[in-house]
Amino acid sequence: MADVDRLLAEYKEAHRDSGGDADPRPFLARASGPDRTVLSALIEAYLERAPRRELDSAAFTGSASALLAEQVERSLAGESGMWPAILPRLRSRARLRRSDLVAQLAARLGASAQQEKVGAYYHQMEQGLLPAAGVSETVLDALGKIVGWSADALRRAGEMPAAGPPRADAGAVFARTTRAGAPMPAAEVPESSLAGDWDEVDRLFRGEPPSA
Amino acid sequence: MSDFRELPAHHLHGLSDDELIGYTRRAREAGRQDAMKPAIAVLVHGYRAQLVNRARLKLASDADAEEVADEALFSAITSAFDGSSVGEFRSWMHTILSRRIADHYEARNRRAATTELPSEHVGDEDVWGREPSVPFEGEALFARECVERALSELVDARHRRVVELYTFGPHSAVEAAELAGERMTEANVHQIASRFQRRVTELLEGGGDTAG
Repeated sequence: MADVDRLLAEYKEAHRDSGGDADPRPFLARASGPDRTVLSALIEAYLERAPRRELDSAAFTGSASALLAEQVERSLAGESGMWPAILPRLRSRARLRRSDLVAQLAARLGASAQQEKVGAYYHQMEQGLLPAAGVSETVLDALGKIVGWSADALRRAGEMPAAGPPRADAGAVFARTTRAGAPMPAAEVPESSLAGDWDEVDRLFRGEPPSA
Repeated sequence: MSDFRELPAHHLHGLSDDELIGYTRRAREAGRQDAMKPAIAVLVHGYRAQLVNRARLKLASDADAEEVADEALFSAITSAFDGSSVGEFRSWMHTILSRRIADHYEARNRRAATTELPSEHVGDEDVWGREPSVPFEGEALFARECVERALSELVDARHRRVVELYTFGPHSAVEAAELAGERMTEANVHQIASRFQRRVTELLEGGGDTAG
């Protein structure tokens, strides 16, 4: 038991000294049998109660935390529910580059000739810019088959959390701006989808044209 | 338009978790995505490392631990916006993490049982479930339950406080004795902590049925 107490104390010290980053596994590795299980449970209880650490802007910038915060923000501020967080992960799990996924998606939609436009819409789904309600079952079914999710699960993810109200600064710029504030590459914005020329790909990703 | 009033970034550090959630909600309702950003950053940076380290206690790879932690943190924050969160933010976040760890094991077991199937990712969507949907089970969660049960069995409030301060908290035995007051000594603190750890061990070895 003394070992558990000592290792727990050492971990807590390392945790404090590292600003909360200390990996507990090297400490667990020094215990064995029941002691190891108890130590794991006690470290877990300690971590559950550890206070929220202060934001360190320098450490935050460019970190995995910053990426996650951006995904949360896109989901809350956007119109695509949880897609900004889920789609990149599903794509990563499927070991697909975005260009490969887009090529497969366009092929499944019978729109290989409009791969660039399909790619622009998929980009908007990942960025939280495309209203989930307008995306057809055909698209979700095709996408689901590529990344290993059901169309129904993708639909539900797109609906949660409910879309927020329009941004105070929404306008023409909004349609061309990512949620992180960086301009979308012009090549990824389908001009024909912004005005006129409402074709089958537009219908698949956005539903019927507003004036129809 | 809501009556949202933006706070300077340094003021956000002083807000509680639930106040930060409330602030983010008001910014969202006002369409102020720019004002949401720093509040989300405080929450994500404040808790991600804790969650990753908790997940490292249970999962073998860093990649798995980070993915599960990110999913839990993302779900905890976004669920506060669609009415599906339960109780205090931090507690809800850790509950989701526990569920995600269990889901991870279940998904891995399913994959292991179906490695011959072409759709190896089918079922992974469960990992992104929104909230705990089945009773907690498995070793990953059992040790945590034993700790909480051993704590709840302490009938003397001073002893519970010692465990919170010393075993789960950042304090030394001397500090914990001073903070607990009521003639508590350093030796008492060690004795209480040792008894508590023995009780956790008993519960773990006895499957939780050992009388206290």
